Amino acid sequence: MASPSPSERRLQKELSSLMKDPPPGVSVDANAVYQHLNLWNVHMKGADGTLYQGEDFQLQFRFSSKYPFDSPEVTFVGDNIPIHPHVYSNGHICLSILTDDWSPALSVQSVCLSIISMLSSCKEKASTLSIEKH
Amino acid sequence: MNRKPTTASSSNSLPTDNSKNNGDEKDKGDQMFECNICLDTAKDAVISMCGHLFCWPCLHQWLETRPNKKLCPVCKSGISKEKVIPLYGRGSTNQEDPRNKVPPRPSGQRAEAETGSGFGGFGFGDGSFQVSIGIGAFPFNLLVSAFNFTSHNPSDNQVENDRGPVISKIFLFLAFALVFWMIFGL
Ligand SMILES: [Zn+2]
Ligand SMILES: [Zn+2]
Repeated sequence: MASPSPSERRLQKELSSLMKDPPPGVSVDANAVYQHLNLWNVHMKGADGTLYQGEDFQLQFRFSSKYPFDSPEVTFVGDNIPIHPHVYSNGHICLSILTDDWSPALSVQSVCLSIISMLSSCKEKASTLSIEKH
Repeated sequence: MNRKPTTASSSNSLPTDNSKNNGDEKDKGDQMFECNICLDTAKDAVISMCGHLFCWPCLHQWLETRPNKKLCPVCKSGISKEKVIPLYGRGSTNQEDPRNKVPPRPSGQRAEAETGSGFGGFGFGDGSFQVSIGIGAFPFNLLVSAFNFTSHNPSDNQVENDRGPVISKIFLFLAFALVFWMIFGL
């Protein structure tokens, strides 16, 4: 294998750390990720005791070659998009750390944790009524 | 973040290139010195005032990425090239300040657009400013052109520099008052 680029090196490190110590309810198909290191599919279970308990979601992470200096593009994909005020029906997520507040010290793991807590803090399932793109 | 249960690997006796590929076999001690950006052991290490460790090339690239918002990636406190401290270990023979090295990827020279030239012209001696006053109020027109006259006198530079901002502020205030009066007084 040719020597990996800095972003690939970092993604490999993140992958092994995520597999060793995943946030609760989060899993990643490592074999698929090894095929395409810049495109991850992450499974996420709705946390117990929240409105999303028992639901399964799929997140897609897309990394540019400038990762981690550029934020990853993270969307919900698949047939179950969570109904949440900050999640559009096309899977787009309104979360500041994915745009303006991104920092290269964040990771797939910390993004997953933020999304879990975003879902968990939801008191009432309601979709976005007004389309206000950040 | 990297809380991994590392068992002390006995096969680490050979300091070969092995360590490069299985980076997760590292000791906890090494992890303390991992760069917060690339997650490798920090090279050309620098430490911020808030205590966070980075490779200088990594931090430099981040500062270039967001030139208007220079924040520590870890804790978001302010950070700048001048306020990081290079770290020199005992083994490092080359005690050159890593900040003096040419960063590995000079990402195209950005011309700085924040010289404020767009705003500077607003204050004094500026055509558009005077015209906008002159239209509405007859007497102002005279005052302004008088001011204009003195400020173009080359021997008067010092005076202009001293008085210019004050006078232009007065005019600015009068202009605002006038606009206010035109809107609400009618
Ligand atoms: Zn680094
Ligand atoms: Zn910091």
